[in-house]
Amino acid sequence: MKRFFFLSILIVTSFLSAAVGSSQDWASLKEASKNIRSVKAEFLQKRYLQILTKPLLSEGRFFFNASGSLRWEYLSPVRSVMLQRGGTIQLYHFSEGVWKPEITQAVESRRMVLFEISRWFQGRFDESKVFRNLYSPGPPARVILVPREGIDRFIQRIEVVLSARPGVIDRVEIEEPGGSWTSIEFRNVEINSSFSPEVFEKP
Amino acid sequence: MIRRKGLDTCLLGFFILFLGCVPISETTLSSGSPDDLPDCYVIFPAGPWESVHRIEAIIKGGASSSLIGVTKGEPSERRLQSLLLTPEGFILFDGELRGGEITVRKAVAPFDSPAFAKGLMEDVALLFLPPQVRPTTWGKDTDGTMICNWEGPDKSHTEITGSMDSGWRILRRDKHGKAIKEVVLNGPFVNGLASRVELRAFKPASYRLRMTLVQPSP
Repeated sequence: MKRFFFLSILIVTSFLSAAVGSSQDWASLKEASKNIRSVKAEFLQKRYLQILTKPLLSEGRFFFNASGSLRWEYLSPVRSVMLQRGGTIQLYHFSEGVWKPEITQAVESRRMVLFEISRWFQGRFDESKVFRNLYSPGPPARVILVPREGIDRFIQRIEVVLSARPGVIDRVEIEEPGGSWTSIEFRNVEINSSFSPEVFEKP
Repeated sequence: MIRRKGLDTCLLGFFILFLGCVPISETTLSSGSPDDLPDCYVIFPAGPWESVHRIEAIIKGGASSSLIGVTKGEPSERRLQSLLLTPEGFILFDGELRGGEITVRKAVAPFDSPAFAKGLMEDVALLFLPPQVRPTTWGKDTDGTMICNWEGPDKSHTEITGSMDSGWRILRRDKHGKAIKEVVLNGPFVNGLASRVELRAFKPASYRLRMTLVQPSP
């Protein structure tokens, strides 16, 4: 009982310390990201499903511009792209040698995720209306996002693992109710490299 | 006929399209050799398996959608669990067929109607589970093409024709003899699963599913 009490205190204290330090940490995260005008990276997504013994692997790349544009593209196993410019999202998939518009599906979920990702690359973790957040200084530093009521049916928790390189995210882990989870590892991250604005306009 | 607001923007369009009747000739055959009987089941995985397919769903007018299909099968129990995911990994549908009963674990609108669950699990069963009864007729053509016919309790007919060299076809007819679904399976077969599958549904909804095996059984 004593041991349990001690453990409880420890857990509560660690959460409190994360919360207490948060305003300063959010400011430093934003400061680290303020010089980021664009990000380009590749990613490897591992989707762990209880039904599968091995994770489902997807590879892709993304382009982000701080003005509010994001291209999130999967190269395999399904070649598809989401283009976000401001509040507009367009979805396409590649089939028979051409890009085809995607029949609208789960657009709200996708819109929410893209807006969240855009915020993360700007260090604006504390501005989410969808998630409560905690900062763990690490190392590695992590931001833990817990959904507010509504989407907790689909997402239990998101952990954003920050790189030692200011403003760069190493990995995102998304846990779902029921034991499924997703890990997205970023690599070949380029900050403020130049690329054509067309990447946000055309599939 | 099911109608819902905005239905034309989603895969549930499968269920609101007009009825189609496609004339596909019926093959008649006398009962074949017992030695040939196992070949009627060669396109269905025999043991427990799991798979990941890239799926392109094409509906009336050519509008299409890309999805990921994850399926796990336990043939001895006639049990199938099937998940539909967006390319990003969002689960749109998670259902199980066990002993003829469908259980939906998760379904996001517009994939949350009982009609969608029934249609999806029927398609998955057609692809991966052999009919429960013994074929009424079967045999091998002179060129080695296997032909097997089943009659269902509802007087529907299932015909499987083909060979490992030329590919296979599953044809399901309703009790009036009209084709309702056709599946073409092409090899190579990996752990009992065809690498490329195309399912065409004619009735009650018209749609096409092009499936490519991307991750077979471990």
